[in-house]
Amino acid sequence: MKKLELHNLTKYYGDQLVLDGLNLEVFEGELIAVLGSSGVGKSTLIRTLAGFESIDGGEIYLDGNLIASKQMETPAEKRGITIVPQAASLFPHLTVAQNIAFGIDKHDSERVQELLRLTQLEDLADRMPENLSGGQQQRVSLARALAPKPRMILLDEPFSALDPELRDQLRNDVRRVIKADGATALLVTHDQEEALSIADRVAVMRDGAFAQIGEPIEIYSAPADVGVATFLGDSVIIRGEVREGKVITDLGKLNPLNNVNEGTVGRVAIRPENFYLQPNPKAENFVIGRTFFGHDALLEVQTPTIRIKARSNGPFAPEIGMPVTVWVRGAVNFYADATPTS
Amino acid sequence: MRQKPPAVLVLLAVFATLISLIPIAYLLFRGSQAVDELFAELTRPRTLELLLNTTALVVSVTLTALLIGVLQAWLVVRTNLPFRNFFAVASALPLAMPSYVAAFGWVSLFPGFYGFWPSWLVMTLVTSPYVYLAVAASLVSSNFQAEEVARSLGKNRWQVVKNVTWPIIRPAATASSLLVALYTLSEFGAVATLRFQTFTIGVYNAYRSSFDRNAAAAIAIVLVVFTLVILYGERKSRGKVRNFEPHSGKRIRIKISGRYGFAGALFAIAGLGIGVPVAALIRWSVVGTSRAELQRVIDAVITTIGYSLAAGAIITVFALAITLVTVRYKSSFAGGIETGVWVGHALPGIVVALSLVFLGANLLPGIYQTVWIVLIAYVALYLPNGLAGLRNPVSQIPLALDEVGRSLGKSRMHILRRITLPIISPGVMAALALVTLTVMKELPATLLLRPTGVDTLATRLWALTDASSYAAAAPYGLLLFLLGGIPAWLLNRQIRKTLDATT
Repeated sequence: MKKLELHNLTKYYGDQLVLDGLNLEVFEGELIAVLGSSGVGKSTLIRTLAGFESIDGGEIYLDGNLIASKQMETPAEKRGITIVPQAASLFPHLTVAQNIAFGIDKHDSERVQELLRLTQLEDLADRMPENLSGGQQQRVSLARALAPKPRMILLDEPFSALDPELRDQLRNDVRRVIKADGATALLVTHDQEEALSIADRVAVMRDGAFAQIGEPIEIYSAPADVGVATFLGDSVIIRGEVREGKVITDLGKLNPLNNVNEGTVGRVAIRPENFYLQPNPKAENFVIGRTFFGHDALLEVQTPTIRIKARSNGPFAPEIGMPVTVWVRGAVNFYADATPTS
Repeated sequence: MRQKPPAVLVLLAVFATLISLIPIAYLLFRGSQAVDELFAELTRPRTLELLLNTTALVVSVTLTALLIGVLQAWLVVRTNLPFRNFFAVASALPLAMPSYVAAFGWVSLFPGFYGFWPSWLVMTLVTSPYVYLAVAASLVSSNFQAEEVARSLGKNRWQVVKNVTWPIIRPAATASSLLVALYTLSEFGAVATLRFQTFTIGVYNAYRSSFDRNAAAAIAIVLVVFTLVILYGERKSRGKVRNFEPHSGKRIRIKISGRYGFAGALFAIAGLGIGVPVAALIRWSVVGTSRAELQRVIDAVITTIGYSLAAGAIITVFALAITLVTVRYKSSFAGGIETGVWVGHALPGIVVALSLVFLGANLLPGIYQTVWIVLIAYVALYLPNGLAGLRNPVSQIPLALDEVGRSLGKSRMHILRRITLPIISPGVMAALALVTLTVMKELPATLLLRPTGVDTLATRLWALTDASSYAAAAPYGLLLFLLGGIPAWLLNRQIRKTLDATT
């Protein structure tokens, strides 16, 4: 069942177009991540959904009812959409339990207990926010947002203020709690790993528009265009031309993953981990840079025509100066140039 | 979408702003009614004399206060001066002494201590703490490592002071010395006690001696223009405050030669600023006062507490409404409200009092010479003190708390009552206390506007000093000093905390 629908959602700040006709459907019980670099309009999207900002065009539907358009908007307090802000933003004068209970009837202590249990905060119910760690504060903030059983919950980069270790732990907790409570959630983040690991579906946002919407594996292995490919982790981009169903490149004939038309020219995107470097005294490609990370290493290789980045097994990576043959594992994504072919 | 403030807040804010604007509006209205008389008044030699006297006092006091304040701050914060903690307190302590109490102390100990130099001395001593506090704060928060870098680059000590230290403290030094200028310009009690003719005294005498209100109004208008010029400079200099990288690590103190000599000089300044007035208060208290006066002391205490608490409560409510509207909701008319309030504040108390006298006598006879007109004057004079106290607590609440509250389905009033007000209540209580204690010391407006036969501590001290009844005056001075000491003590504790944190 459709929970949230955006139709051509448009928003300006002054003359600047921030949201450029967004279309999106979020289904009941789904956890969707909106992924984009900073300044791309993610926070603005959250704020228009929550009702903190008005919109300049398009419509927002919640449970099939119009909640915002250029002409009308349901006020934030009437939407039933709750938010987990970037900083936990707990009410500093209320205890953990009182914070969680803020949005519900005072006497519904069962719901509060349920959420304390779900977020593993039972022992901290009477603590004041200042006596909580960053991770605990975010869990309280999540519990507070879930408490009134909202139609939808929004999470605005909820892990960005935490250190990396805590982030991984909390990420799993948040997904577990949201799923256990059956809530529908939209999370925005700039962290691709976060988006890919937590969400049922990911919407990649770029310049105020969605560049691609799909399941995490689909987004990663079949990026819609070169931009998405480079945004979601490193990619080596090289030129190529389609002949007899193969892409002819400086790195040899590669198998295209997607459908290609004979004779088109364009670019292929190759993940660094999809290169295999084989030491070969007769090869004309040389390792010119090597960054060691422990479990793996990132090598820079100069071929006669281009320079590529390749990931290699750390301890066994070729040394600088070594000649290597460059192999490409598996199939690649080919993106035809935008020139008209007629 | 900008959130709209609840209507009741807007109403309160606008009402408060109008009250602050009443004095200046009415004064300008009067002036425009009698332009010819005004002009005649301005060209009298008497006005020129007042202008010269006032200018001389303002300039000389500002310069010496700047010199003393910067020296105190630098010695206490940056050098190996002995007894630093003592001087950190002693340099700020004159803040506790209302200027007219200090003047009373000097005059009562040294008969005939009248005129320009006494006024210059007393005003310098009571105003230099403003420079000291501002400059000390900027020195504490500045990155002293820049000085070490400059020295490693081959600059000598003087070049370092000139090219590194001074640019850091200049904004604080400029802003605070302009405050000193404003303070001196609007000073009434001390200068009157020390019998030096400045604009404020000119206004008062013109009003008292002949009830010649046009003459008084003319001088008041010149005073307002003078004030606006300084205020303009103050605002401009304030805009230039730069943010320096805060210091990190342990503060290295500069070793100065003759540090005991400097300590002696600071001790002498503290002795003149605090020692002499306190000695006078003690001396005359020992002489004792009559039983009849004791009853009047009690009456004055009750009146003072009643007036100042009422004013403190009203001002705090108004200031809270204004701060919420301007800071919390960032309403579009916020700028107008703030400017209006600050203009009211910049006016010398005597000018506010005078225009309210006109207004009360001509337009509002119902409240003339009642407590209400006194309260209006207090609001016009001290609303900005309330605003200054509330600005930080209110602006420190993240806007996200409001948004979270609304997303949880709560109305604006509910959020105001259940989130905003509980969180800022300590700040509100502090502002209430500070405003109340400040109002207690007010002299010129109370003097002109109070109901007949009613006295506050300040007006009674004034009347007895004027009559040279020093022994009878002493208990009033002592009480005012103790009351004034509370906010100064609080301020000092803050400064001490920052100083301690960096040593």
